[in-house]
Amino acid sequence: MTTAAAKFRVCPTTKLRVHAQADALIKANAVVATVALLIGGLAAILVLLTRWQAVHLLGAEMFYRVLTIHGMNMLIFFILFFEMAVLYFAGPVLLNSRVPAPKIAWTGFVLMVLGTLMVEWTMFTGRADVLFTSYVPLRAHPLFYLGVILFAVGAVLAVCIFFASLVVARRERTYEGSVPLVTFGALTAAIIAAITLVHGAAIYIPTFLWSLDLMPMDAQVYRLVWWGLGHSSQQINVAAMVSVWYLLGALTVGAVVLNEKVSRIAFVLYVLFISMASAHHLLVDPGMGPAWKVWNTSYFMYMAVLASMIHGFTVPGGIEIGMRLRGYTKGLFEWLRRAPWGDPGFSSLIFSIVVFGFVGGITGVTFGTEQINIIAHNTLRIPGHFHATVVSGTAMAFMGVTYYVIPLIFRKKVAFWPLARIQPYLFAGGMLIFSITMTFAGTFGVPRRHWDITFSGAPFTLEFSPAVDLVMGMMALGGLMAALGGGIYILVTVWSVFFGEKMEGGDDGERAAPRAPESASAAV
Amino acid sequence: MASGLPPGLLNPPRPLSEAEKAAGDDTDAGGLGSVPGTMILVLVFFAAFIAYYFVNWKLLSFLWKIG
Repeated sequence: MTTAAAKFRVCPTTKLRVHAQADALIKANAVVATVALLIGGLAAILVLLTRWQAVHLLGAEMFYRVLTIHGMNMLIFFILFFEMAVLYFAGPVLLNSRVPAPKIAWTGFVLMVLGTLMVEWTMFTGRADVLFTSYVPLRAHPLFYLGVILFAVGAVLAVCIFFASLVVARRERTYEGSVPLVTFGALTAAIIAAITLVHGAAIYIPTFLWSLDLMPMDAQVYRLVWWGLGHSSQQINVAAMVSVWYLLGALTVGAVVLNEKVSRIAFVLYVLFISMASAHHLLVDPGMGPAWKVWNTSYFMYMAVLASMIHGFTVPGGIEIGMRLRGYTKGLFEWLRRAPWGDPGFSSLIFSIVVFGFVGGITGVTFGTEQINIIAHNTLRIPGHFHATVVSGTAMAFMGVTYYVIPLIFRKKVAFWPLARIQPYLFAGGMLIFSITMTFAGTFGVPRRHWDITFSGAPFTLEFSPAVDLVMGMMALGGLMAALGGGIYILVTVWSVFFGEKMEGGDDGERAAPRAPESASAAV
Repeated sequence: MASGLPPGLLNPPRPLSEAEKAAGDDTDAGGLGSVPGTMILVLVFFAAFIAYYFVNWKLLSFLWKIG
């Protein structure tokens, strides 16, 4: 496809020239992400109603099956499909450029969908009850591993297209100066994704061969390499989430960037140090020595934490400056009080920052300390931590930006607007209760990934503090509240996209060569 | 508002001029710089961090007694 023949439309709101292929790829990835969120969300409710000992819904076998489905759909499929949509937005769209090789991009998408279907089939048919981590020697059907490999190959293609779009945009001069900060953040997410997917290939290809009885597999080596995939994949989330924070800040309240260089350096810190931080998953493993653990967690991990703390300061600081420059200067917090709290994009942004930082961040650094990890490892404190980061942080931010993607990309109005406005409050409030009570339960020693904490039928008895019943009950209520918020999100997005009212203008299918924007993406 | 469009699109924030961006904000509430509200939030964050970190070491000390 030549540049001149590329089909663009001009967004009447942002004045960005949106390439038709980028438009379609964003839509396709976002729709599949929402389907994965629906499957993972339904599985979450079943897991929750089983962990809530008063209900204890599922049997043991079904519990672990559903927990596997929940983990894979939420942590891999939902998040990564959404991140692919973010890459197509932060690359071709924000740079006013085209998708360099649409056929390869679509091949990547098809591979990801094919891999997803294979994994879903093995999980739903009981051929892969191995949980998200699929620790060896637990063995799944070979198609489970092959599905993950195909998914990863598809994601690699999408990442390569993103890198290529940066080169093409620069060569065709579709933007002026440096790439926007949001694109820079997405670039770091893409680099981390490349590192992550190399780890994925390094572990899942031999594990696939092991599942076919073609080679042996060492359990400790598996854990070491797998966490290069398992944890780093969550760091793609963090880099993408922070990019979305900057984007939402600019879109909702006209936030400024306090210092471009500092923000960009913070993104680079993620790339340099986050892979080593994966070691904190191995803090109680016998295979590695204390020096290796301490260097990777208590030193290198803190550099990545520093990056998050920088963003945690610059994003609200940029919002504050932006609001103050527009006249909200009274006292310490007029800028926050008078902010558009009825805008689900803004409320999602603030909830994402607060819960990610205050709950997810503080617990994460604490549990990443080797000595403290001894008392936290494999308890509910760990899922309490990562539900605050991945769900309340990343998923909340992605939900918030969806309320802008629907009108800007899908050219539809957001359906059930009053529901959309309260959705972030329900979801974030529920997840806050859920994460904190889960962490409390873990403090009492309640194990994670466990079907029955009463150990019924076991040759020994174990009783937890009576407070555990109360805390677990509150956890369930918080989880159900969050599930209601998640359900509203799915209802609003699906209805808006497929049955929503069309917006006027911006759908003219104009054919033109791309050019540098006059004003549009300057803000982001 | 039942328009189905986020306020950030219906009524976008007023664009700032280059002069405004360069000037920044001259608020300086009690030495907290130009982002006093954010600085207060940061201090609350650090206080929470210290408290949680301390509590965890205290819990650990109950399990690992010396002597």
